[in-house]
This record gives sequence, C-alpha cells and structure tokens, in this order.
Amino acid sequence: MALKRGCERGLLAAALLVLLNGFAVACLASGKSLPQIMQSALVIATIAVSAHAVLTLRKSRGDQLFLPIAVCLSGFGLTMLLRLKPELFQAQVVWCSLGLAVFTVMALLPGRWFLKMSLFKYSWGVLTIGLVMATALFGVDIGGHRSWIILGPLRLQPSEIAKLTLVMFMAAYLCERHVVLAQTDRKLFGISVPQLRYLAPLLAVWGMTLLMVVAQVDLGTALLFFSITLAMLYMASGRKIYVIAGIALFLLGVVVCYYGYYHIRTRVDIWLNPWADPNGRGYQIVQSLFALAAGGLFGKGLGLGRPELIPEVHTDFIFAAIAEELGVAGSMAVFLLYLLLIVRAFRVALRGRDSFRMLAAAGFATALALQVLLIVGGISKFLPLTGITLPFVSYGGSSMVANYALLGLLTAMGEEGESS
Amino acid sequence: MMLRPLDDMRGFIRKTAYVLLAAMVSLLAYLTYIQLYSAKDLAENSLNRRNMAAAQKIKPGLIFDRNGEVLADSRKTKDGFQRQYPYGAIMAPVIGYSSLQRGSTGLESAWAQQLLGLDNPLSQLGPVGTLWQTGAGNNLVLNIDAALQQAAYEALGSRKGAVVAFNPKTGAILALVSRPSFSPASLDDNWTAVSNDPNSPLLNRATQGLYPPGSIIKVLVAEAALREKKADLNTLFECSGDLFIPPDYHLTEDKKRAHGKINLAEALTVSCNVTFGTLALELGGRTMQETFRRYGFEKELGAGFSTERSHLPDFTALGRGDLAQTGIGQGELLVTPLRMAMLAGVFANDGVMMLPRLVNRIETADGQILRSFAPEIWLKPVESEQARQIRKMMVQVVEEGTGASARFGGVKVAGKTGTAENAQGQPHAWFIGFAPADNPQIAIAVIVENGGGGGSVAAPIARRIMSMAIQ
Repeated sequence: MALKRGCERGLLAAALLVLLNGFAVACLASGKSLPQIMQSALVIATIAVSAHAVLTLRKSRGDQLFLPIAVCLSGFGLTMLLRLKPELFQAQVVWCSLGLAVFTVMALLPGRWFLKMSLFKYSWGVLTIGLVMATALFGVDIGGHRSWIILGPLRLQPSEIAKLTLVMFMAAYLCERHVVLAQTDRKLFGISVPQLRYLAPLLAVWGMTLLMVVAQVDLGTALLFFSITLAMLYMASGRKIYVIAGIALFLLGVVVCYYGYYHIRTRVDIWLNPWADPNGRGYQIVQSLFALAAGGLFGKGLGLGRPELIPEVHTDFIFAAIAEELGVAGSMAVFLLYLLLIVRAFRVALRGRDSFRMLAAAGFATALALQVLLIVGGISKFLPLTGITLPFVSYGGSSMVANYALLGLLTAMGEEGESS
Repeated sequence: MMLRPLDDMRGFIRKTAYVLLAAMVSLLAYLTYIQLYSAKDLAENSLNRRNMAAAQKIKPGLIFDRNGEVLADSRKTKDGFQRQYPYGAIMAPVIGYSSLQRGSTGLESAWAQQLLGLDNPLSQLGPVGTLWQTGAGNNLVLNIDAALQQAAYEALGSRKGAVVAFNPKTGAILALVSRPSFSPASLDDNWTAVSNDPNSPLLNRATQGLYPPGSIIKVLVAEAALREKKADLNTLFECSGDLFIPPDYHLTEDKKRAHGKINLAEALTVSCNVTFGTLALELGGRTMQETFRRYGFEKELGAGFSTERSHLPDFTALGRGDLAQTGIGQGELLVTPLRMAMLAGVFANDGVMMLPRLVNRIETADGQILRSFAPEIWLKPVESEQARQIRKMMVQVVEEGTGASARFGGVKVAGKTGTAENAQGQPHAWFIGFAPADNPQIAIAVIVENGGGGGSVAAPIARRIMSMAIQ
C-alpha cells in the first residue's frame, strides 16, 4: 500500500489535529478572534493536504513520515508564536505555506536530476560562497548578528539557503573524490595525509566559517557549517583524521577568537558559569533555565507560564517556552519528533542508490541533527549558546522554507531507494 | 583506481548517525534532568521572577509576628499586588523584600512558594492544577516579637551591628536585628544608592555578618578544658599579664594587668587572656578543631533562612602563637551573631542546642493551620552537668565581672562580654548571655561594630532587650 501513501494520510490528519487544537487553545487563552485564526489553520491544512494529494497522484515513493512530522512541528511552532508574539503569526503562516509548496516541488524532482546536480559541483560551491559573501558584505545586524539581507519588505537569511547548497556541494565534490580522500598518499611525521588539494574543501569551509564569525558574528551558523563539512568528509572517506584535524582547527579558531573577540569570550564565560552575572550577560540563559524548570511534568498550560521573561523567546528560545507551558510531556514530544525525523533521514541516506544521494541525504540528516543539538543544547546550558533556529518551530521565514526544501529533497532522494 | 564500495560508505554513515543520535539522547536525558530534578532549586531561586509574577494574580499571604502584628501585607494595585511593610527597615533583615525588578530576599524569597500557595502538590498537574489554585496565598506566623524587635532596633541606635534573641528552650527567634537597614517599600526607587552604600544595608549582619568573636568564645574554651580535664573548678592559673610564646610572641592582657593566681571561673569573670591562651595551647589544635565541630560551626544550619557559615582556620596547621589567639577568639576565626546566640543558648538549655526558627506556622488565608513547626533539637554538644557549670561561671561574669552592665533588678543574668580586635579600627563590642539564669526565657547575642568595650557598649543593650522580654 506504499503507493497510496496511506501512512502519510493518517499521520498528517493527526498532525493537523495537533495544529488545530494548538491554535484553538492559544486563541482561547489570549482572547484572539477564533474565526480569523481558524482561517490560517485552514490555509495550512489545505496546502498540506494538497501536498499529500500531489505526492499520491504522482505516485511518489518517498518517505511518508517527513510531511506529517514537519507539519506537526510547525503546528507546535505556530501555536507558541500565536501565544508569544501574535503580531508575527500571520507572516509565519505565509512562510509555512510557502515552505509546504517548496517541499512539494522538491519532493517531486525526478531521480535522474540528481545525477545532473552532482555534475554542477562547483556551481554549488560558488553559490554557497556567494551567499555567504553577500551576507558578509551587505548583511544587516538584527539581534546581535549580521546575518540578514533586506530586500524590499523581506528580511532574508541567506545562510539558511547556503546550508542546503553547502550539503549539495560537499556531496557532489565527495561522491567523485571520496576515492582519493580515502587513500593515503604520503606520510608526514608518521601520519598519513592525503594530498593538500583534496583537503581544499575543508580549508575553504574553515575560511568561510571564520569569515562568518568575524564579519557576521554568526557563531551558530559557522559551527553548523563546519560540523556538517567534517561529518560529510568522514562519511565519504571513513577517515577519522579529517574529524581530528577539523576539531583541531576548530579549537585553534576558538582559542584565537576567545582572546581576540569579546563576543566569543562572553559566550564561553556565560556557558561556563551564567550565575556569575545572572542579571547581565548570563540573563538570557538563566531565564531560559528558569523556564525549563517551571514546566514540571505537564507544563503550566498554554498562556499560563511566563516564558516572555526570556528575551527573544520566539526565535532561539522557543523550545524553553514549549518546556515551560507544555512541560516535559510537550518538550519530549517535540524532541522525539526530531529524533524520528533524523532517524528517517538517515534511513534515506543508507538506502541511497548512488554515492551522491547517499552523501547528500546523510548531509541533510546531519544538518537537522546538529541544528537541534546546537540550539536545544544551547538554551539548556548543555552546550555554549549559539544563536540558531529550531527547524520548523522557531520564528523565521528563511529557516522555515529552507528546512521544508531540505525535507522535500530528502523525500525525492528516498524515491528510488524504497522500491529496491 | 578502485572505487570504494558503497557498502563502506554506508558503514560510515551509520556510525555518524549513531554518534549524532547518541548525542541527542544524552541531551534529552539532560533536559529531563533539568526539567524535573533541578526544577525545585531553580523555582526557589531568588532571581526567578515567576514567583513575583504570580503575585500579580495571586494575593501573597500576610506575615504576622507571634502576637498577630502584621509585618507584611499585600495591597491590590491596577497591575497586581504591592507588598506593604508596616515595620519598614526594622523588619527588613528578617522579611526581606519582594520586587518584580530586583527579585526577592529574606523570608519573602525563602518562603515565596508557601506565601503564594504554589507548594501545593496539585500544581504538578500542570494546567489542571491551576483549577485548584485559590486567589490568595498562605499566611506565615513568625516567632518574632515585633515589639522586642523594635526595642532592639532602637537600642542599637545609629550604630552598625546586630542583635539575635531567641528562646533557648524552643529555638523560637524573638528578634533578629541588623543595622544599618533599608526601607523595603522604596527599594526599587533607591536601589543604586542602597546597593552601593559602603555600609552594606542589604547585608543581614545577624545571620550573615562574619566577625571575630573575641572573648565571648572563652565560654567554649572553658567547657572544652573541663571536658578534656585540662582544668577543674579548683585548678589555679598564674597570670602575669603577659603570655610569652617562644620564639617571639606575646599574648597580653589589657594594659598588661596581671590577674595573679586565679581559677577557671575567676579567669572567665575577668576575661583573662593568659589563661585562655594557655588553655588553647594545652588543648592543642586537634581538640580545638574537634570542639568547634562539636558545636556545629562547620555545619550548615538548614533553618529555612539564609545564613553564612563560620570561617574556621585549620587549627592543626596553626603555629602556637596563632593557636593561643583562637583561645581568646582572635586570629582567623570568624563567626556570625546567630551562631554566638546559639552558643549562649546551649548553656542556657542544659547542653541542648535547638534549631533556631523564624517561622512558627503556615496558615491559610482564613486562618486554618496548614503546618506548624515544633521545636527541634539541632545538636547536643555538651553534657548537661558541664553546661550547668559553665552557666554558673557566666552568672558570675555578670554579677562580679566584666558583664556587670547586663544586670537588672531582681533577675539573675548569665553572660560573657567580648571586645574583638579587628582590622577595621575600634574593637567590636560583643555580649552573649541569657536570663533568667535559673529558667532561661531568652538567650541573646549583641554586637556593635567598632563599638569599643563589650562590657560598656554591648552589655547595656542586651540588658534593655532581656529586661523587656522578661517583663
């Protein structure tokens, strides 16, 4: 029955129920006009159901879990946004709808296109560098990092798109080169190293991420890009030396930045002990910990907690708001949705027919996992805080659309794998 | 060149997936730990404004003294409830403050959950729990006697210092004064001035101020000497006015006055430094350490309000000169007035140290008792027979010695004075004691910072407070 996508239909219905219920409760709790909000819910439901219908009609064999999980997570995100920042709600509904549309288009990409994509490896590379350079040159500072480009009424975060092109570039580059990378060419101090030109992407991405840190003060994205690159190099070559060399380069960067950049030092100091300056530099993380702790098992209830005490709660810290108002039950549900999503994404990678699709899918899965780890770890003091969005949940258009596109690509890549 | 088989790559991808998923599962475990296990500490943290925010919807409970005097009240305003403190600065060190901007301290912080009625187990039920929430929190009834507190506050006058008075038989704290204090009602407006004041009005000197005890510690050394049989009631000490400790240390009496041949009780009565310096040396570092430990100086109190722990030197590592110093309460030894009142309390209560308690009971808004706190024994550091011997000596101190100013009509008072040298200037004036000596109703510690002599400055303050408490 895989052809009929019955599993997707059932789960999508459940996801939409979560979304509808969330909207209704947030609406009642805040005294907003219910019909208006239900209209938005209807728009999203229609587009999501259409996406499912189109995939079914075109006999897609892609993974059936991606769409329902993404819709369910978006439901959580939009519900929290409606409760925290209702004035941003409508905009986010538009972004979510657009994301679903992009998802559908991407999910229907024919399998043979991926062969073509893998041939344009340098185009992906140039595109990635272009997006990052554009941000470095024309970026506008919003909320502490200069990662936005303003086009008329739109605020875009090019790094979200660059995340996709980076994975495509690495996959295209490595599916051809992984042979060479895996071989040892010469010995240096008893350690075998590959020829320098094969290390080029690693060094290029390292340089690019340094640029992000220096010019954009965007630690989160820099760390994300660098980690994706390392993980993909390892997955292509199986050689841990890349990971070790990469971590060494990273630590070198951190040490230099720690002493050279006030901003980085602050981040590290806050992470080590936010209680040293709980009303100043550690304010956000301390408030986030209070929010996490306030929820208990079942949460304070939607609209009954005080997550708005955390500055910027609707973007980076939205998970803390979920934890406070929906409790362990809610935050664990969201977290398990991510776990499931990532397991399925890796499943696509493992079932991939060719090395390009395997690597690209694995790269996307890694990107999703790292985003969740970095931001949820950051707001709970598990890791140093690096501003990054929580996929499908945080407020932000570029992130929403880019992550839906990512899932669409994964769906398309899973296409042939399932028939085998 | 041979292509690496795709199966190899699958292996690497699988390994990467396992590492990432393991990281996510650890993060999930850590999150749950924060959300459930550390939740209580975080909820009670004084910087957490959720309690203050809840006070916008729930009327925080009242705080009463033992006679029903209102110490803290809540007034409804257009955006919540505003705390009112009828006794202002007098009670501020006990009650603390509660401010949406500044967080909270004192009882307002430590008992915030109870004052708001949020400690209800039903609140774990999340949104359903809110159905049980009432509009008003619970009231606290304290052991504090507001009239006595006010008298003690006035007795200190404009001097810096602290007073702790409690019932040695029950542990009920009757007065807890710290000066200078601050006005809790106008704290938000005066925050910069108050928090930067070099006299630290926000510091509760009674429970958190650390001072050298000076001669009041001699009661403890005397008890240790009897216990360890370094002296009995008849042992005679020879005081020449100067104890020479080779190679180059001299422990001297005030104005180098020689006390001649005296026994232990007489030594305490005249507060002889040579005798108690000698006793500290004879007891030795290990026993001195053990003695302080026996009285709980190294132990957290856990009494439902914040206290500072004493600073004790490592007695076993002290040189002989420094060890002799600890026998007269000088050197690296630092204690709080609360702990000194408790020390007096042991000898008042036949060797039993009661847990000091500020809160007597919690009541609902309509007066129904939710929980009341019975007297609780904290430590039994000394046999009752020995405690009575020390008590007798302390009576002698007031009747014949340095504590004469603590005497008042018809009541037998026990006490010990202290004049503690310190780096800040004039010595701190100390008095600890209790009354009536035969059936103690009140034990007290008074310190006046840089006040001068304990007998002339601190003892008269203690007399005013004790006489008021008994009459």
